[in-house]
Amino acid sequence: MNHKKIFSVAFIGAALALVLTGCSSGSTKSGSKDLAINSKDIISTMDSSTVTDTIGAQNLANTMEGLYRYSGRKIEPGIATKVVTPTKGGTQYNFNLRNAKWSNGDPVTAYDFVYSWRRIVDPKTASQYSYIFQGVKNADKITNGKASPKTLGVKAIGPHKLQVNLSQPIPYFNSLLTGASYLPLNQKVVEKAGSKYGLNSKEMVFDGPFKLDKWQVGNTAWTESKNNSYWNKDNVKLNNIKYYVVKDPNTGLNLYASHVIDRYQDLSGDSANQLKNNKDFSTNPTSSTYYIEMNEKKDPFFKNTKIRQAIGHSINRQLLSNQVLGKTATPDASVVPSKMTWNKQTGTDFENEPQSKQDASYNNYNPKLAKQLWTEGLKETGQKNLNLTLLSDDTDSALKQSEFLQAELQKLPGLKVTLANVPFKNRLQRSTSGDFDMVVSAWNADFPDPVTFLNLFETGGAMNDGHWSNKEFDNQIKEASDKNAGNYQARWQNLLNAQTILTKQEGVVPLYQLNTAALTRNDVKNYNMSPNGNYDLAAAYKK
Amino acid sequence: MTKYIIRRIFYLILTLFIVASVTFFLMKFLPGTPYSNQAKLQPSQIAIMNQKYGLNKPLWDQYLIYMGNLLHGNLGTSFQFNNQPVTQLIAHDIGPSMQIGTQAMIVGSVLGILLGAVAAIKKNTWVDSGATFISILGISIPSFVLAVLLQYYFGYKLQWFPVALWQNFSSSILPTLALAAFPLANVARFMRTEMVDVLDSDYIELAKAKGDSERKTITHHALRNSLIPVITIVGPMAVSIMTGSLVVENIFSIPGIGNQFVQSILTNDYPTIMGLTIFYSFLLVVIILVVDILYGIIDPRIRLGNGGKE
Amino acid sequence: MAENLPPLEDQFQFASDDLSNLDTESESINTPSLTYFQDVKRRLIRNKVAMTSLILLVIIALVAIFAPILSPHDPNAQNVLYANLPPKWGSLNIPGLNGIHEAGGHMVNAYQAEHVPKGTYYIMGTDYLGRDLFSRILYGTRLSLFIAVVATAVDLLVGVPYGLISGWVGGAVDTFMQRIVEILSSIPNLIVVVLLLLILKPGITSIIIAIAFTGWITMSRLVRAQTFKLKESEYVLAARTLGESPFKIAMKHLIPNLSSTIIIQTMFTIPSAIFFEAFLSFIGIGIPAPNASLGTLLNDGQKAFHFLPYQMWVPAIVLSVIMITTNLLGDGLRDAFDPKSK
Repeated sequence: MNHKKIFSVAFIGAALALVLTGCSSGSTKSGSKDLAINSKDIISTMDSSTVTDTIGAQNLANTMEGLYRYSGRKIEPGIATKVVTPTKGGTQYNFNLRNAKWSNGDPVTAYDFVYSWRRIVDPKTASQYSYIFQGVKNADKITNGKASPKTLGVKAIGPHKLQVNLSQPIPYFNSLLTGASYLPLNQKVVEKAGSKYGLNSKEMVFDGPFKLDKWQVGNTAWTESKNNSYWNKDNVKLNNIKYYVVKDPNTGLNLYASHVIDRYQDLSGDSANQLKNNKDFSTNPTSSTYYIEMNEKKDPFFKNTKIRQAIGHSINRQLLSNQVLGKTATPDASVVPSKMTWNKQTGTDFENEPQSKQDASYNNYNPKLAKQLWTEGLKETGQKNLNLTLLSDDTDSALKQSEFLQAELQKLPGLKVTLANVPFKNRLQRSTSGDFDMVVSAWNADFPDPVTFLNLFETGGAMNDGHWSNKEFDNQIKEASDKNAGNYQARWQNLLNAQTILTKQEGVVPLYQLNTAALTRNDVKNYNMSPNGNYDLAAAYKK
Repeated sequence: MTKYIIRRIFYLILTLFIVASVTFFLMKFLPGTPYSNQAKLQPSQIAIMNQKYGLNKPLWDQYLIYMGNLLHGNLGTSFQFNNQPVTQLIAHDIGPSMQIGTQAMIVGSVLGILLGAVAAIKKNTWVDSGATFISILGISIPSFVLAVLLQYYFGYKLQWFPVALWQNFSSSILPTLALAAFPLANVARFMRTEMVDVLDSDYIELAKAKGDSERKTITHHALRNSLIPVITIVGPMAVSIMTGSLVVENIFSIPGIGNQFVQSILTNDYPTIMGLTIFYSFLLVVIILVVDILYGIIDPRIRLGNGGKE
Repeated sequence: MAENLPPLEDQFQFASDDLSNLDTESESINTPSLTYFQDVKRRLIRNKVAMTSLILLVIIALVAIFAPILSPHDPNAQNVLYANLPPKWGSLNIPGLNGIHEAGGHMVNAYQAEHVPKGTYYIMGTDYLGRDLFSRILYGTRLSLFIAVVATAVDLLVGVPYGLISGWVGGAVDTFMQRIVEILSSIPNLIVVVLLLLILKPGITSIIIAIAFTGWITMSRLVRAQTFKLKESEYVLAARTLGESPFKIAMKHLIPNLSSTIIIQTMFTIPSAIFFEAFLSFIGIGIPAPNASLGTLLNDGQKAFHFLPYQMWVPAIVLSVIMITTNLLGDGLRDAFDPKSK
């Protein structure tokens, strides 16, 4: 090949590349019924028994229908014909099921629910969320291998009648029923796929508003199309939802700006700060809170209330949420998030109750008071200089937040803070095994009720990594779950009291409630988050 | 020659065996478990999961099982994705990585050879300086910086190419360019040195004396003879592309194994880390072996020896 | 790390002596004399590009060494209220350096918007926690250079003796040592580094160990190849016949003759060590917070590039200048040691 040829080949190659680009790029059009959005990560499984992350939960919410479904804040009937009131002192639920179909034409029956629920509590399935069935008759015994899955308190009375028996009333059982763990499964399909169930769309059937097309685990882009077998398909307005996995925040912005996606919902704090006046910008509270746990077992001086309170008063939550995290967080004085639970009778947000608001004074930013409490606390425990490790995740925002907390805490006399930012699973393991001084932990509501946050800190609780313990607090939680389980208002008061004790004692130091910060095109409507943390895409549409 | 190849293949297997063993034991000392929700699991469930991942057996048995599976091409099951064999993860993600890797290799070598050759022919002119400047830049700007700049200016500002994602051929252009810069620069530098030497040599003088046209001299003699040693840097090029792909795939949201590797590090997915380490090493040793053998066949001056040079 | 090498020398035999491009170095070194090194010096000084690079590098090194004196702020002091301010050079009104940048579609004077008192300005702006970027760049360069220099020193300490022993002793020892090298170099070095960092606690020491762990291989190969040639040379043979100890021979005859190879290789190891550190920090397993290195600064800057481009440009330029100058100086040194190549 002579030079001329080489050059011309190179030239043709470059020209070809340019031409090909001209006819590419899947930019989104306004008025279409296709919605393109980013996903923070890939779907790791679509098996509702073994799913553990929010991405799996979201995509199950898009494609599957359980007994109930959230519509806005309200629980609406799904496969069940109406939202039922329990009988037998709140321990028995009788559901009538509507004529619904799976995407392969099979009817959705009560047996599908029985099969699915037995499967998740069966220890052989090794579901990490089987604990969510605690309270359903025999669930704990089955998970511990002491009873057969057949003894679970769920029974099909014919194909269209389902009876559930609880061992004690669960006041929030209706909201549990909207979650992924309680979805039905088509036994025939699941057994045919075997261990590969939930790993590709070919071997799955769907009974929800959308169905996954040509998806395989590991895909970084996937499409969900409208499911014509869905019982309520007339109220589904979108034809397709396209998800693209984008991990780099800068890339996400560029994709949104280039009209490839209609919504970018994982803005970093920095970008959120820059975009706060943009008309497409919005923030959305999630039901997750972040808090610091102090290891009382490893460092007994943390048993001193003043030391814990000093930490609570030393952190400027406003600066942390608004500046460092750029409004991807809302300052929170309590571990219970706001905009999650409203009183059934009065309609007041749990966090807007006068008692909750009063609690904020127990850990407001007050460096002077913090120093005073700290010095007193050190004296009482006989400590002088402390060198403590602050454990946290290694994500971008966790790093920034750790750096900020480090600087804030080191203003306390004699305190030196070393940072340990580790991958998520490492952090969990070190928290569980007690290998930390202070750890920034987060909790995402399993179901929209304050108790999902408060019972974490019961004495001996599995997630009570700091081993804080308070008898009065334990009593309030216990009363809420047995004596007052059937008495809504008394239970509400128990939970408020428990929150007050936890905050006043600073058993953990609350930091903030997480927000998603997103850019959304103005033709995307009704894209809202349900109280259980999933977006309700059945209701979303494009104008 | 056959004896040499057999010997090399034996060492290749030994190398992979050692790599696999060392990685296996290193991974066992690392913290973290496959369970994201350990505190809420019942002991009976943990026992079942440990059994599933083979974590309930003594370390030595785990090792033997792992090596045994390796012989059958089984790299274990990912912690990150339920029931997903690591080999399937690799198979699923290898396509895009191979595509941009190969494209970067081709673009890098072709342009590098052209640039180096032109620089050598026009030695000590502004063309030469320009080419040197470009190749120095290529070596000095890390691929991740280049990737961000390419995406921002050619993707977002000028809208010539897709910003990111993996949809069609045009999606691969920017990542290819980001990856090709380093090999391009390296090849250009190497090519220039070789070509300058060849152009100074006696047989070129002879060709010129025989009255061959300059173009014929260059394409028939100089280019061909300078190209041979360039083959030797294919191995290092492959390494730099593998390294670069880790970040470039991440920045361009490409579902490749580089992306997967970074992800498995950040999520403590030890079986996947092990699997990819072995896979990368395998790829590299095979490339080096093939290059060495090719080099021996092509270059008549060099004969593959048996031992050292004592 | 600088991989532009032919494959293992021991797999080839030179069938003819006509390998002018490979043998030149040793030929010229075989007759060492003062004039030779004077020659090298003269050639280097005459090379304008190399000299400019050298001067630039010296300046960067001095700035890095004196970072504590030169930096106007504590690099780790936070002032969250002044976060993400663009560069401002006193009261100069140069676009891009006057504290005005685009935000939400129009130009905003960020310093006024955040009520920064008059007279307070940051010549390279501030980062997401309101830390002075200029001070962080100074300290970051210092840390990156430190890591590179120490990692290179470890390379020398391991690579040179390894190559010397392997080449000098030869035979079975050499074969065994080369097998180890072969195995180590079959694992992509990035992966070795990542695996090491997963095991060691993150920090400067771990990064240095991890980079040095793979870096010495190239050095040892070059030294070994040279040693093989030198072993056969007449003056070494003479010294051996006279019964000098191998250690003395190594110190007196081998090391001085290997110096050109070592110096040149060092010049290429430093930039690749800097690059590696940046790379590791970029994928999130580098220097722990709050310390800055060029890699962590780049990583932070990249994420904000869409809105705050200066946060990436500054460390990217500093990094590239260091890489360019070390590479050019390396080239210059090679030319100086090997006059035939120009």
